[in-house]
Amino acid sequence: MSELALFLVRVAFVGVLWIFIFTIISVLRADLFGQRVVSRVTEENSPTVVSKPILPAAPNSTVRVLATSDAPASAGATKLVITEGENTGFELPLTGREVTIGRAISSDIVITDEYASTQHAKLVLMNDDWLIQDLNSTNGTYLAGTRVGTPAVVKLNTPVKVGKTVFELRA
Amino acid sequence: MARSLNIARVIPRNRNIEALLLLFAVGINAFELAQIQLSVIDVVNGDFFIYWAPIATAAFVFHLVLRFRARDADSLLLPLAVLLNGLGVAMIYRLDLAKISNHDTDLFAFKQVIWTVVAIAAAAAVVLYIPNHLFLRKYVYLSGVIGLVLLILPVVPFIGRRINGASLWIAIGGFTFQPGELAKIALTIFFAGYLVQRKDSLSVTGRKLLGVQLPRARELGPILIFWVASLLVLVLEKDLGTSLLFFGLFLVMIYTATGRAIYVAVGMGMFLVSGLLVSQLGGYVQGRIDSWLNPLDDTLYNASGGSYQLVQGMFGLAHGGLTGTGLGGGFPQLVPLAESDFIVTSIGEELGLIGLFAVFAVYILFVARGIRIAVNHTDDFSRLLSVGLSFVIALQCFIVIGGVTRVVPLTGLTTPLLAAGGSSLLANWIIIGLLLRISDSVRSETA
Repeated sequence: MSELALFLVRVAFVGVLWIFIFTIISVLRADLFGQRVVSRVTEENSPTVVSKPILPAAPNSTVRVLATSDAPASAGATKLVITEGENTGFELPLTGREVTIGRAISSDIVITDEYASTQHAKLVLMNDDWLIQDLNSTNGTYLAGTRVGTPAVVKLNTPVKVGKTVFELRA
Repeated sequence: MARSLNIARVIPRNRNIEALLLLFAVGINAFELAQIQLSVIDVVNGDFFIYWAPIATAAFVFHLVLRFRARDADSLLLPLAVLLNGLGVAMIYRLDLAKISNHDTDLFAFKQVIWTVVAIAAAAAVVLYIPNHLFLRKYVYLSGVIGLVLLILPVVPFIGRRINGASLWIAIGGFTFQPGELAKIALTIFFAGYLVQRKDSLSVTGRKLLGVQLPRARELGPILIFWVASLLVLVLEKDLGTSLLFFGLFLVMIYTATGRAIYVAVGMGMFLVSGLLVSQLGGYVQGRIDSWLNPLDDTLYNASGGSYQLVQGMFGLAHGGLTGTGLGGGFPQLVPLAESDFIVTSIGEELGLIGLFAVFAVYILFVARGIRIAVNHTDDFSRLLSVGLSFVIALQCFIVIGGVTRVVPLTGLTTPLLAAGGSSLLANWIIIGLLLRISDSVRSETA
C-alpha cells in the first residue's frame, strides 16, 4: 500500500476512535451534565396544610383535604423524584402499587440517615390520589412542612420530607 | 426540556443502543486488525478472522444473554470493554507479527483470543446464574477468606511460581494463573459487606487533634489488619503493585462508606512509611524507586532488572509523538514485555498521544459508568460493591499507566482488558458481569 493511503488510513482510524467516544458521551449526556432536579414548590402552593399533627385519627378515618389551593391533585403522578438528601435525583416510576419508605433494605425507597425509622411511611394510591401515611415513625413525616397525622393526599410537586430526604410526586 | 425527553428515550431502548455501539466497537476492532495486516504484511489474509470473529461473536452472544436475562442493565459497559479488549488483541497480534519476522515463537495473540472468549463466557455465566447480586451478602466472610487464600497461594511451596522476580503466579499442570486477580473481586465483595455492617461505628468521631476529628482507636483495627496484609504481599510476593492495589481499594471503600477523608490520609501515610522502610532494606523496592527517579542513569540502564525496560518504553512514546507512527509502523517490540506490562507504550507509540488519550477516555467512561451504577442504587451494599469494582479498575490503570509513564514507580500489574494475560482478562470480565448484574437490578427492582 502506498505511503499516502497508509497515512489516510491512520488518520481515519484515530478519527473513528474519537467518534466512538463522542457517540458514547452523547448517549450519557444526561449523566455527565446532571439531571436538573429543582423543587418546584412555589409560594402559592407550598403551605397546603393537609391534616393537623396531633389530632387522633377519626374512627372512620376519612381523609381530610383542608386546603383549597389550585395545586394539581396527584391523579396524574407518574414518578417520585428525590429532591434533597443522599439520593438526590433518584426517580422511581409509580405503578399504582404502594411505595414503602424507610431504613429497611426491603423498602422501595431506602433512606439511610439516622432520622428515618425502619418502616417510616408509605404512599398508597386511593381513588386516583396518592396518600402519604406515616407508620408511627419516631421523627415524623412532613408534607409541605407540616407533620402528617392521618393519611394525607400528596399533591403534585409538593415536598414530602422523611428524615433528611425530601421527595415530590411529578407528572 | 430536550434533556428530559432524551432520558425518556434512552432508558427503555438501552439494549438496542448497546447493539449499535457493539457493532461500532467490533467494527473498530476489524479496522485495527486490517490496518495492521496491510501495513506489516501488505495484505489482509484469513488470519484476520481468527483474531476478530471469535471475540465479535462472543460479544454478541453476551449481548443476547443480556437482552433476555438483564434487560435493564447498563448499555455502555459492554461496548467499551469490547473496544478495549479488541484493541489489546490487535496490538498483541501486531507484536506477534514482529516476533515472527524475528523467528521468535513465544506468541500471545491467539491465547489472548481464547482467554477473551472464556472470560466473556464467565461474565455471561455471572449474569445468568446470579439472579440478584444481593445474594452475595450471604457470603461476605466466605469471600473474605477466599480473597486472602487467593492472595497467599502464590507463596505456598510447590504450586507457587516466581516469574520475573515476583511471586504472583501458581502453576497447576503446565498452566499458570495469577490468583491475585480473582482475589480483588472476592475482597471487594468482602469489604462491601463488612463496611455496610460497620459503617455507623466507623463514622463515629473520636477525639479532636489539631482541628482534625480522629477516628476512635479501636476502629483502626481493621485498617491495621489490611495494612499488615498488604505489607506481607509486598515483602513475601515482592509485588508493590498488588500490595498498593489492595490497600488502595480498601481505603477508597472505607472512605465511600464513612465519608471521612481522615481514613484515607492515615492509610496513605501508613503505606508510604512502610514502603519507605521496606525500600531501606534494599533490594527490589529500592531498585524500582531508583529507576523511577533516575531512569537515564547509565549504570541503572545497563543493570539487570534496571531501568532498561522503562527507558525503552519512554523512547517508544517519544517516537510516537502526538500522532503516532500508525498501527504497524513503529517498533514497540523493542520494549521487553511490550504485550503485557508495556502495552500502553506500544499503543502510545503507534497511535500517538491522540490515540492514547482516546484509550484513557474509554477507561474514564467505563469507570464513570460503574460509579453511576452505584449512585443509582439506594442500598449501601450495592453502592459500595459497584464503587469498589469500578474503582479497582481505575486504580489498576493508574498504577500501571502511571508506572510506564514515570508518574509513580513502575510495578508489574496488567492494564485492565488490554494487556496479555488470561487471569487478568477473566477477572475483569467477571467484574463487568457483576456490574451489569448490579445495574440491571436498579431498574428491575423499581419497575
